[in-house]
Amino acid sequence: NIDPASLLPKLPRPEELRPFPTIASIEYAGHEGRVRSVAIDPSGQWLASGGDDGTVRVWGLADGKQQWKVKLSSEDPVDVVRWRPGQETSIISAAVAEDIFFMIPSFGNPELEQTSRDILDAGFGYATNGKQLTTANGAARKDPPAKWTRPGARLEDEGVLLKATVRSPIKSINWHRRGDFFCTVSPSGQRSSVAIHTLSKHLTQIPFRKLPGLAQTASFHPSRPLFFVATQRSIRCYDLQKQELVKTLQPGARWISSFDVHPGGDNLVVGSYDRRLLWHDLEMSNRPYKTMRFHPQAIRAVKFHRTHPLFADCSDDGTLQIFHSKVVSDLMEGPTIVPVKMLKGHKVVNRLGVTDIDWHPQHPWCRVASIAKKTKNTD
Amino acid sequence: MDTEMGQPALAEVQQIRVNFTTTSPDLQLPEGRTQLLVPADIKRYGLSRVLNSESMLNTSSPIPFDFLINGSFLRTSLEDYLKANGLSAESTVTLQYVRSLIPPVFQASFEHDDWVSGVDVLSDTARAGVWSGDKFVTGQDRILSASYDGLLRIWNKSGNVIATSASSSLGGHSASVKSAKFLSASQVASAGLDRTVRIWKYAEADDHLSGTLKPTLELYGHKAGIESLDVHGPTGRVLSAASDGTIGLWTTSKSSAPAAPAALLPGANASASKKRKIASSAPQRGPLSLTQPHTSAASAVLFDPADATIAYSASQDHTIRTIDLTTSKVENVITTSHPLLSLCALRRSGGGGGVLLAAGTSARHITLADPRVGAAATSVMTLRGHKNMVTSLCASPDNEHSLVSASHDGTCRIWDLRGARAGTRAEGGGAVSESVYVIERESQKGAQKSKSKSDVPGRGAKVFGVAWDRSWGIVSGGEDRMVQVNRGRDLLAAD
Ligand SMILES: [Mg+2]
Repeated sequence: NIDPASLLPKLPRPEELRPFPTIASIEYAGHEGRVRSVAIDPSGQWLASGGDDGTVRVWGLADGKQQWKVKLSSEDPVDVVRWRPGQETSIISAAVAEDIFFMIPSFGNPELEQTSRDILDAGFGYATNGKQLTTANGAARKDPPAKWTRPGARLEDEGVLLKATVRSPIKSINWHRRGDFFCTVSPSGQRSSVAIHTLSKHLTQIPFRKLPGLAQTASFHPSRPLFFVATQRSIRCYDLQKQELVKTLQPGARWISSFDVHPGGDNLVVGSYDRRLLWHDLEMSNRPYKTMRFHPQAIRAVKFHRTHPLFADCSDDGTLQIFHSKVVSDLMEGPTIVPVKMLKGHKVVNRLGVTDIDWHPQHPWCRVASIAKKTKNTD
Repeated sequence: MDTEMGQPALAEVQQIRVNFTTTSPDLQLPEGRTQLLVPADIKRYGLSRVLNSESMLNTSSPIPFDFLINGSFLRTSLEDYLKANGLSAESTVTLQYVRSLIPPVFQASFEHDDWVSGVDVLSDTARAGVWSGDKFVTGQDRILSASYDGLLRIWNKSGNVIATSASSSLGGHSASVKSAKFLSASQVASAGLDRTVRIWKYAEADDHLSGTLKPTLELYGHKAGIESLDVHGPTGRVLSAASDGTIGLWTTSKSSAPAAPAALLPGANASASKKRKIASSAPQRGPLSLTQPHTSAASAVLFDPADATIAYSASQDHTIRTIDLTTSKVENVITTSHPLLSLCALRRSGGGGGVLLAAGTSARHITLADPRVGAAATSVMTLRGHKNMVTSLCASPDNEHSLVSASHDGTCRIWDLRGARAGTRAEGGGAVSESVYVIERESQKGAQKSKSKSDVPGRGAKVFGVAWDRSWGIVSGGEDRMVQVNRGRDLLAAD
């Protein structure tokens, strides 16, 4: 007789997996209305946020003090904020409807600001605006997929120095690690819903004309020239150099909201509006390695920590779930995933709870966006 | 010999045999008086009266005492303590008596326009007052506050602003000030997010109701915001800790300071037409040394209280480093388990002298560490009780065994290292001490009930800086835009 419990994999107890965030410790109060997106800068000192009030704000991560603010729109919300990777610049990209704004928050560091300005200005030398360019498959195009312009005197005075306008409202921005390419996804954009932009050339390209379903979000592989695009039900992985489809992941979710590639590059976690959390081992099947359900409401965002073995999701139920995830290079052994902490306490308004999450680059601290505030969680 | 105290015991009142001990040489009981039968329901106050009585210490004026049993302060009746700890009332209880802690009393709050990031004090007992010698005019006690609005303010005892630093256009800081200290009664150093250390001349009018803070030196070198600084008046040296992990050493002397790095000066990158020198700009200089001992933000740095050629720095990289300032070399590294946000040094006369370092963590506790190279155990004790990050620390001016801490939880807490218990397994074992007094923010009183429940401890009332002085008491500043003064005189009387 074998005790069935003995066949289950032995998971470590959560307390053996410290450090991980256990309490909420800072609130960044100031936004009017919902906060839609948060991002921690590459140095780990600043938190950028954007929300329904049309502003982007920058806060001292450790003290919660708002140090910079700009109003990008009086009509549309700021849907996404993302920092350009790399500590040599301090550039925030933010999506408002069809526009991506690029801004340099001022913290009294002229050197850093000048380097950042140079990076944003470099592309004006090209001044192509896509007109005489061709698409990835070589066909000539009439209409440029994006217009790169100055955003106007008022915004320029406040540090918003560049704007790229695509054809449909943007819901996702993700940067390539080197800080020159970034991708945007406009789910309603049909044939041009996914765009890859080159900052140094102010260039926008549409890599795919056809996708099976509405694109939701896209992301670059952390180390290889691979590109992932999520539609509602699948995640397609493309080789950017060979310009070919490598594989199609089938998470089994009805509507994918977000995904993140593990920093090691071989695993991927997916969150869905139909409350599922799915782990894919890219070396294994196209089906999930593990399917998890922890939330009674939609999962809005998932994110891996870059240096600690942690990831987290956030949900419309107002909670975050923190997981410890041990990934081994051994092909025979799958990853060990242990839920270590559920963090509660975010107000749920109009069935929207926690909308975005980001991790500190070094410490096991995460920040989340929710109704009219953001909260930091720490160990 | 046993001594019966007070009224003859009623039959139903149980008595407990206690044995009094102390580590204070001046408070020793006469031979044979240390054991006593006391009523089981006696509490701290009763025990204190017993000790002060004619047949015991026979004190000329009563000394309030506290009592430690196995490292914990007695806070209930003796009977209840024994019950709670599963101890028999039949056995003899050893009570260690120490001079009592008197609760700090709120005195005043000084209102600012923006969050207060740091505080320092000037008095004849404060460091800068002592350094000033005869130049400090007795009675002119001052508070220096640093604010997120980029300004320094000097306050008198009545809560009036005697002087405010120049604004950015007149040669002041161009961003939030994070730290400021008196070098003497007439000199101030400050630093903040604009990456500069600034030296100011402070002068008061004859009536001492107004004064001026004039910029005298701008120090450039850091490439990231400065979080903390310390000063040493007699040598005119300043230490700074920046969020890129660098530590700067500076001199207040214009003539001996190296030239400022040109690339870091304002306007260095602007086009010629945009270059506009600020008319009132003070001379610009560079660092004596600038090193990067830390791999993550440096949050605090201080001079060894007895040797200004030694510095200690704490960082979010989990380490405390001992730096030899004559060689700029790191002499010792203490690695802890958490990001460190604050640091202070407690002098030690016993155990070979030196200092004990207290470091505040993002994990809500304070770690006490021995910085001596080769110390048997670097972590000496853990202070637990704060509900959020510990952002500032200051040693007691009165003794070697207490300190005050400030936290994002909206409180300052006073700790007495004489009382310690064994840590639980969840706490990681070791010696653990809990705070003896909690100072709340006066600004939050009354507001607390109407406030909606928050999952963030101390929301809206983060405390960023605290100083403890014999004359002023405990001075703290924070997110409530207040400098708060609590009377702390004789709070923990000297042993
Ligand atoms: Mg594997």
